[in-house]
Amino acid sequence: MSSTTISAPEKPSAKQPRTAFYFNTSEHLLRIGRQKANNFSELLEALRTCPDDSIFQHTFRTLQEHHFIQQGFSNDFAHWSLFACHEPVLAEQLASVDVREFTSIDGLRDRMVEIVDEFLKQHPRLGSQPALEPFYFCASDLLVLPTSFVADSLPSFVNGLRQVGIHSIQHHFIEARLRLHRMSNDFSQWLDEEAGLPKVADAIERIDIYTNTMEGVRQRIAGMVEQVLK
Amino acid sequence: MNSNDQSTTISTFSSGNGSQTQTEKIATQATPAPVRAPGRQLPASVLTPPAPPPPPHLDDYANIISRGQVDALRYLAKELKGKTIKMVNSTAVGGGVAEMLNRLVPLLSELEVATHWDVITGGNDFFEVTKAFHNALHGSPYELTKAAQDIFLMYNEQNRERLHFEEDLVVIHDPQPAALIRSRNKARSDWVWRCHIDLSNPDQKVWEFLRPFIEQYDAAIFSSQSFARQLPISQYLFYPCIDPLSEKNKELTDTQVQKVCDDFGIDRSRPIVTQVSRFDRLKDPVGVVKAYKLAKKYVDCQLVLAGGGATDDPEGAAVLQEVKEAAGEDPDIILLDLPPWCAFEINAIQRASTLIVQKSLREGFGLTVTEALWKGKPTIAGAVGGIPNQIIHKLTGVLVHTVEGCAFQIRYLLTHPEFARQIGISGREHVKENFLMTTNVKRWLLLFRLLQQARGKKSA
Repeated sequence: MSSTTISAPEKPSAKQPRTAFYFNTSEHLLRIGRQKANNFSELLEALRTCPDDSIFQHTFRTLQEHHFIQQGFSNDFAHWSLFACHEPVLAEQLASVDVREFTSIDGLRDRMVEIVDEFLKQHPRLGSQPALEPFYFCASDLLVLPTSFVADSLPSFVNGLRQVGIHSIQHHFIEARLRLHRMSNDFSQWLDEEAGLPKVADAIERIDIYTNTMEGVRQRIAGMVEQVLK
Repeated sequence: MNSNDQSTTISTFSSGNGSQTQTEKIATQATPAPVRAPGRQLPASVLTPPAPPPPPHLDDYANIISRGQVDALRYLAKELKGKTIKMVNSTAVGGGVAEMLNRLVPLLSELEVATHWDVITGGNDFFEVTKAFHNALHGSPYELTKAAQDIFLMYNEQNRERLHFEEDLVVIHDPQPAALIRSRNKARSDWVWRCHIDLSNPDQKVWEFLRPFIEQYDAAIFSSQSFARQLPISQYLFYPCIDPLSEKNKELTDTQVQKVCDDFGIDRSRPIVTQVSRFDRLKDPVGVVKAYKLAKKYVDCQLVLAGGGATDDPEGAAVLQEVKEAAGEDPDIILLDLPPWCAFEINAIQRASTLIVQKSLREGFGLTVTEALWKGKPTIAGAVGGIPNQIIHKLTGVLVHTVEGCAFQIRYLLTHPEFARQIGISGREHVKENFLMTTNVKRWLLLFRLLQQARGKKSA
């Protein structure tokens, strides 16, 4: 009679990274733009024509400003649709947009335009309904700065993760894909290519940023890497 | 006076022209009040200004914002070492601007970006005109006369002759000194106009009088997106900020909080609803009294209105009288007219409070909201000015639009303590991320670097 041996899943084996991971951070100055929208039609028009850094501000950057909210914060367009326009349907559709699905602002802009355009085609009368408050398009002036944390091993990587400022987590985990132009983040890329941990890298990439605070994301990433070290 | 009368003591201070203390007793009907003693005077500790504590150092903030954030500030300032800044405003004491500059200036200097602070001078006529401008810029009707314009220009000119502008970056705060731009040396300095007030619906004549001065600046800064105007210069959003280590915001022990409450007759065994603001109609203290009275039909609570007058605010006494009339003989309404140096006492009162209210009708930014959020207090505030930037409705606080709305939220938060606790926690995190002094320092450094880069490109 044959027997089937069930083995425990193999523990990923890390390799000594060839290059160190430099924890950077980014700081932003908020500029008030010239465009504002008083209703959905104006929002749609402004979404089509506003500068790229406005789209960045109201989708990526706003996550940093609201990183601590337990209930999740999606983007400024969704927030405005709900609280200033009382349109939960559009708000939910806009909130469903995951910025990490985009490696360029163009794609993200097109998606937002598509959602609002489709909504107005179905509800044309809502286009001119005035909002309680206008939506002011802003933009970010960005500066990337180094930190004192450099990781040349997995233990030092975990140490850096746990101690670096929360803005650094945002910079490497969320905004990185705009720099890398790929569907990944700096942590996953380094763990995959330098530390030989593709499965851990993939698991980290799939962490949901919209149902976790950024601190929660930090703890999860650190926890996943620490599992490898045990 | 009837020996059974219970009194609520209000002390009125007039600051700025030498201090004079008046105590006024209002007779009320006898009501059981376990803590407040009849005829209690304000404690001696508030009668004279305390010695200012030494300003904190940058490293003192590491436990609050993290070592990494402090290091980021040092790195930002590195390229600006040796550069100089001048800040100019209209008052050295009272009001949020002076409070902010008291901290910002030493911190920038500690980062080796030497920062000087000058205060303009003027007679009563100048401050009457600028107060009228302040109200007009907030939307109050106003007849702008040539005489008012001449007074404004005359005092700006006097200050222009008195002050020297040799710094690399000059920052003019609010409309009072706006015409100082005429001193600008374009080749040497960048000038920035920092507007702290709500300009979303200004009196057009007053705005059109000021606009030609503002357009000459290199950039303008506002506290909310809605305050920005159509200007040919870059406009930045700098949220105002609080200092977590100041007397008004630092951590206090329970003993310290209790002592202040005992001194002012506030009963901590019962819910306390507090508004901390100048006695100014735009803060709607009468509306808060009305909301409290509506809520009181359903929930037991006390109302504390703690305010005072900034040196540039002549209307305070009149508004205080209106509030006293609205309060009537309710012994659970405690009115405190405090001098501007009572930061410690304000801190303790806020920390003792169950809820904080800021029912402003118009507001610049609303730093009293920031203070309340930082202390983890569930906060109810008017959806005006910069307040919606701080209070994300039902996430970091609650926004209201009416007396009735305020009354309902008082009732709701007092009867749903877990929800109140949660929004208090989120409110504090929101301040930590966006409205602390260290974030303000960072914004100034970033702006200075941007302006220097632009200047470098122009001269290349």
